[in-house]
Amino acid sequence: MNLRWIMMLLVLGCGLFATGCGSPPPQFRRYVTFIRLVEKQAGGDLELSDQQKQDLDEVLAAQFGTPNEPLVPNVGEVEIGKVLNISKLKVAAGAVGSDANDRAVGLYREHCAHCHGVTGDGLGPTAAFLNPYPRDYRKGQFKFKSTPVGSKPTHEDLRRIIVDGIPGTAMPSFLLLPENEIEALVDYVKYLAIRGEVERNLLNFWASGDFDKDSRLITDPAKPDPEQIALLKGQTGDVVTKWIEAEASSTGVSARPTYTPEEFAKSKEAGRVLFQGTKANCFSCHGIAALGDGQLTGFDEWTKEFIAPTGVRNPELVREFTRLGMLEPRNIRPRNLRQGVFRGGRRPVDIFWRVRNGIEGTPMPGFKPEILSDNDIWNIVNYVQSLPYEPISDPRQALDPVNVHVSAK
Amino acid sequence: MGRFWSLLFLSVPIVGVLVFVWAMAGWPGMENHWLPANIGGNEALWIDRLFLFILALTGVIFVATGLIFFWFLWVYDAEKTTQPVKYFHGSHTLEVVWSIIPAATLLFIAIFQMKVWANAKLERPTQDGIPKAPIAEVTGRQFEWRIRYAGKDGIIGTQDDILKVNDLHLPINEDIVLKIKSQDVLHSFFLPHVRVKQDVVPGMQQFVWFKANRTGKYDIVCAELCGWGHYKMRGRMTLQKRADFDKWLEQAWQEQEVASFAPPAGE
Repeated sequence: MNLRWIMMLLVLGCGLFATGCGSPPPQFRRYVTFIRLVEKQAGGDLELSDQQKQDLDEVLAAQFGTPNEPLVPNVGEVEIGKVLNISKLKVAAGAVGSDANDRAVGLYREHCAHCHGVTGDGLGPTAAFLNPYPRDYRKGQFKFKSTPVGSKPTHEDLRRIIVDGIPGTAMPSFLLLPENEIEALVDYVKYLAIRGEVERNLLNFWASGDFDKDSRLITDPAKPDPEQIALLKGQTGDVVTKWIEAEASSTGVSARPTYTPEEFAKSKEAGRVLFQGTKANCFSCHGIAALGDGQLTGFDEWTKEFIAPTGVRNPELVREFTRLGMLEPRNIRPRNLRQGVFRGGRRPVDIFWRVRNGIEGTPMPGFKPEILSDNDIWNIVNYVQSLPYEPISDPRQALDPVNVHVSAK
Repeated sequence: MGRFWSLLFLSVPIVGVLVFVWAMAGWPGMENHWLPANIGGNEALWIDRLFLFILALTGVIFVATGLIFFWFLWVYDAEKTTQPVKYFHGSHTLEVVWSIIPAATLLFIAIFQMKVWANAKLERPTQDGIPKAPIAEVTGRQFEWRIRYAGKDGIIGTQDDILKVNDLHLPINEDIVLKIKSQDVLHSFFLPHVRVKQDVVPGMQQFVWFKANRTGKYDIVCAELCGWGHYKMRGRMTLQKRADFDKWLEQAWQEQEVASFAPPAGE
């Protein structure tokens, strides 16, 4: 009878569906590329045993928990509450769904993980298709922020990127998410960044110390040595402290002068002279016409440490690290400033910060006030902001007849 | 099995009609499942009328087809009928009739809707005898709408443009023209409440226009599957009175022009 077949198919379908739901919860991925790097830097004498790698995973899990059950590490004196909030982390962590009060949870996996990866390693399933690649948070470095190179971004800096997105990259705007969800995601990004940096620091610490094949981070896990525990807490505390300090280290920006039209023209001209001169040296990377064609062979810091420690791409290292999961490295391109796309924000203050502070992890340097005064930088900002509207940048757009008609107002 | 299949076929037109009636009436469980509020004025009302006309036409055919299926299954049920199967080689008259009727219907719809189509897609509102310039340019990209207002000079692509993301504010009670583009793949710019929907094709620039008559916050959605994040490619359209809109635009300009930063006190 036909009905019997239909019932059997239904039962089969339900069975398949049920088994699909039983997949194990995702885990944080081990930082294999950096482990390999540390081993290489130690000159081949160091090779972490499986036991030692597992110890590392356990130390991290004890402090940070798992993707489903995040923890805020206990770092004693350091006021970690200023940086991470466990209730916010719990909203962002875990599987996509809603909690008992019908609030959305699992936000990171819903909105971020497919590009940035569950671990925040920038190795989500869609990462390989994007240009530029998504950010790997584990280095604890972020490009677009109000603080100088070497400092962490402020909470507001990260929030702005999530709300506005990054034009010119695949990062979209999340403006329409409710405020509390954005806040939760900001905290979760910080959490992954701190976790990743702690992982790196522990590995560096391992490589620098006199550990041998059998030594362990915690010699006897059954009866942990308080001194060793304190040391590990200190490692995490140091990273957290940098995040706390960042909140007060935004660079102040003196107001842009008000110009008469003649003064403004002069300012742009002064900016052009600086841009094309050797003091600010912008042209050496961005090109004399600001087309971003000056320096095309560099790498960013996320890539460089692995495959171009000397600054030159080493094909052997590329093979070695791509085999470990690194994405095929690409050169970092200086921005073509004539496109009018400013990744870190188009406000004058954003462009001012980029010049004053530099861009973390990239060859873009910052300029101390002794080298470029505020006024110098404002001249450069005025020049850079005018570039996309010069006729040679895109004459078609301004001359298109459908755009020329001015609405009567 | 008895009459199982014939009754199953009978249930299709019944359940189908019931679902539509239920949704249109907004009965419990299906509130707000019918058309979204129409705030687009006369042109948008005509879109609705066309939609309902075609719905009624196809609805009648849907019900009729369902009933015919049911009738055949009921009358010629293999378990009940003892007549032998008869084969015949088709009916010329029947074929001609069921070709001509739909053709005539389609032709009627095509001619009947011509003016509505022209209003919606061809005859852009004019100002001083020239097609009205767009107030803003909306660029779709995976997965957001980037908006560029023409600014004070009324020209898109100049230095006084105001850029926003997913946040489109517009004045009510006047003809709005938007230029729409795509940066990457096919998207479809859909404003359900003013009955505007237009595919955006990379490399093409197109215009949409409408006139809204009610303030409030409404959705901008993407109506063309454009990638994994298609479902969350949402924007927000805020309709305001002209004075409020001008105020908002000025504020947006100020926010874009922030040119100083005072570091937090207490360092």
